[in-house]
Amino acid sequence: MSILEVHDLKKVYTSRFGTQKVEALRRVNFSVERGEYVAVMGESGSGKTTLLNLLAALDKPTSGKVILDGVDTATLPEKNVAAFRRDQLGFVFQDFNLLDTFTLEDNIYLPLVLAGKNYAEMSARLKPLAEELGIAQLLKKYPYEVSGGQKQRAAAARALITEPKLLLADEPTGALDSRATDELLSLFAEVNRRGQTIVMVTHSVKAASHATRVLFIRDGEVYHQLYRGSDTNEQLYQKISDTLTVLATGGDAR
Amino acid sequence: MKRGFYFRLAIDGMRKNRKLYLPYLLTCAGVVMMFYIISSLAHSPIMNTMRGGGNVAMILNLGTIVMALFALLFLFYTNSFLIRRRNKEFGLYNILGMNKSNISRILVWEVLLSACFALVAGIAAGLLFEKLAELFLLRATGETAGYTLTIETSSIIAAFIFFGAIFALLLVASLARVRLSKPLDLLKSEAAGEKPPKANWVLAVIGAILLGAAYYLAVTIKEPLSAISLFFLAVLMVIVASYLLFIAGSVAMCRLLQKKKGYYYKPRHFVSVSSMAFRMKRNGAGLASICILATMVLVMISSTSCLYFGGEDSVRSACPYDLIFNVEYASPHACAAADGEAAAAAIEKAASGCAEGLVSYMEYSLTGVFEDSAISADKMARRVDITSSPMEIEKLRTIIAVPLSDYNRLAGKNIVLEPGEALVWSSGEAYPYGTIGVKNTPMLRVQGILTELPFKLSMYDTILTTYLVFVPDWEAYTGQLSAYLTSLGEDAISSAPARCCGFDLPGADAEEQLEIAARTYEAITDANGFCDEPQAFLYCGYSAYADSRSDFFSLNGSLFFLGIVLSIVFIAAAALIIYYKQLSEGYEDKSRFSIMQKVGMTKREIKSAVNSQVLTVFFAPLLLAGVHLVFAFPFVRNMIRIFGVFNTRLLIATNVACFLAFALFYVFVYRGTARAYYGIVSGGEERQ
Repeated sequence: MSILEVHDLKKVYTSRFGTQKVEALRRVNFSVERGEYVAVMGESGSGKTTLLNLLAALDKPTSGKVILDGVDTATLPEKNVAAFRRDQLGFVFQDFNLLDTFTLEDNIYLPLVLAGKNYAEMSARLKPLAEELGIAQLLKKYPYEVSGGQKQRAAAARALITEPKLLLADEPTGALDSRATDELLSLFAEVNRRGQTIVMVTHSVKAASHATRVLFIRDGEVYHQLYRGSDTNEQLYQKISDTLTVLATGGDAR
Repeated sequence: MKRGFYFRLAIDGMRKNRKLYLPYLLTCAGVVMMFYIISSLAHSPIMNTMRGGGNVAMILNLGTIVMALFALLFLFYTNSFLIRRRNKEFGLYNILGMNKSNISRILVWEVLLSACFALVAGIAAGLLFEKLAELFLLRATGETAGYTLTIETSSIIAAFIFFGAIFALLLVASLARVRLSKPLDLLKSEAAGEKPPKANWVLAVIGAILLGAAYYLAVTIKEPLSAISLFFLAVLMVIVASYLLFIAGSVAMCRLLQKKKGYYYKPRHFVSVSSMAFRMKRNGAGLASICILATMVLVMISSTSCLYFGGEDSVRSACPYDLIFNVEYASPHACAAADGEAAAAAIEKAASGCAEGLVSYMEYSLTGVFEDSAISADKMARRVDITSSPMEIEKLRTIIAVPLSDYNRLAGKNIVLEPGEALVWSSGEAYPYGTIGVKNTPMLRVQGILTELPFKLSMYDTILTTYLVFVPDWEAYTGQLSAYLTSLGEDAISSAPARCCGFDLPGADAEEQLEIAARTYEAITDANGFCDEPQAFLYCGYSAYADSRSDFFSLNGSLFFLGIVLSIVFIAAAALIIYYKQLSEGYEDKSRFSIMQKVGMTKREIKSAVNSQVLTVFFAPLLLAGVHLVFAFPFVRNMIRIFGVFNTRLLIATNVACFLAFALFYVFVYRGTARAYYGIVSGGEERQ
């Protein structure tokens, strides 16, 4: 059963005086099954981030629908959208988006606090998660005191602690060195193996090669997709590279 | 040509960042204006002529120092914020090929321009404001204002020097920052993380202790005259304590709240407490300054308005009868021998029958150091004056000897005492000893304590604790004292036997009262005080209620006016400052709140977090100022007693009214600020 369905999604940005229109997404259709790990690839300006914002209900589509677990996010009233986002979705961003006035621990608690959970419950949830992510020793530190990789693991913890239906990641490895990237990707693979649905936007072939399915977006449309099948990461990596080469060198082959 | 280029770049940079620069420049000008007004008032010549001017000048001088400290801290804070935002631009210039000395030149121009604007606009605004206030005062009180504001060149010079130095320091700091950093750092510096503030418990505890001690001092002070130096010690302690509490105590408080999991991990508190901890590190000093200035203004405006509105009271207590005559004689004997009846008749005649409630009695008054139920009348006692140590002043007492017969007559009683016995009335606490008298003369046995007097004393007679001693053999007893004082020669404290006459003139208006006073004065002096030996008549003095009243209102009117001028200045500047603080913080908080929105914070939650944060930043200084005000109350009450206003209820009322008016105004500023702040932090997300 699909947890996320995207139907004919279209997003047009209008410049301030309405003179110029930019079509960021033209006609996007896809669905994500429960437990899938989907990477969305595309060049800069292909509409990846717009897509993610629409999935996260941070922005409203011009037309089309995003249905998450049976709920059309566009129809949710504004005051429910935030709660919906908080309870159903987890986010990992390229630039971490940790609050510098909070310790890592408090950063991770943030969505739970907003949901009105009490401390005992939050703390019980954090403990195993922090162990698993290897940040148990760092919880009292502030973001500026830890490395990028550690920050990103804290951000992942913040996204996972609400046990979201869908984990959305926007270029999560973009600001990490290769070691931290490997760690994060194996972490994502691990949580996915335990059933977490993930949608990750990236233009890193390496990051995408950990996914179970890869969507390619070009000019606001889903252009192509690859399934992992029984491929290893290396084999998938090769396929993705080949696809990107084909995409880049033109070829209207579909 | 080249110079013009940097100048243009500077102007351009400021214009492009006008959202930041405009409030910054206005704030600078506002701070300069406040500094100038407070300093010029402190040095104004009216401080010498106005009653209590010395104290007001002292408060204002203190205010100037607080203002200067505040200006220093605040301008550094705003400037560092400004530079942080500009660094990105400078980093870009640097990368585009401008070297650091070129950038420095832009900075020099910018600081020069800001400084010129701030000083010229600030002082011009200060002058304009003072002139307007003066015109207003003249209109309100007619020509008798007795108060003109002058242009204080010394204050202008002080402002130029002081703020010139501050701007020079700001320039040095900005230059150092640009010199020491690499271009890439400049580009990124706005986003650089900030160290979390550590709670400095030692300072916080010291602050709390100081505040407690200062409050204790302020509350336990009894004698207002002796207490002034002590009170200023308390004021200094309160100032230091406020700074410590706001800077260290607030962070410690936030840390404490963060430890209370049940409180901290609530949506309402979570965000505001943690960002407050950061906020307070930088804002503590500013908030403390606002708190202190607010306290000063509240104390001034509430006490001066109490003085103004309690004027009738005050004049009445200074001059309990419409006319009071004091006829002094060379000796108790002459005084007793003078014809009291004739004096009364002369008054009746001069007042052409409208005198009412005439009281007439003889008195012999001595003031000196009082120890173990006796006053010392010798040299040691003479040396004690207001400037000597508070311990000695606290021992000063006045003893006034009055014939028992006068008491019996006026009170309609018939008390009989033996020579050497006395009835005692005290203006302060009940008289504690069994005897009373003057050292080295026979002591009087206290036979009874009186709680009421059959006549009214002027409050000037009772600034020091005063004992009225009613003796049966007045002439003999005071004769003894007088002989003893004479034997001491020049070392003796002064004293004079006198007849006091007080009466009301209910039917007469002010002018008639003064005419009657003059006629009575002539009648008494022409008759040599109704004294058998003309040379024994020394002097006749009188005080008229009508005179005191007009004096009082012209003098205290200007105090009241000063209070109002200062509060307007302060309130306007404080509003500007807080507004700017919140706006500039809004830009910093914007990214934070956009993260929170992504994580799932609703607009409403953002609004409530904003509210609780702005609320705290706003009202913490006001709240503490209110507490300061409460603890200053006993002292203020004592002070205005010196001015003759004894109406405690009125003082409470003016205190409460001033505080509420201040708070109300504050609420308006708060709402405007919160709205602007909310507009910034929830404003359109920046797209990458």
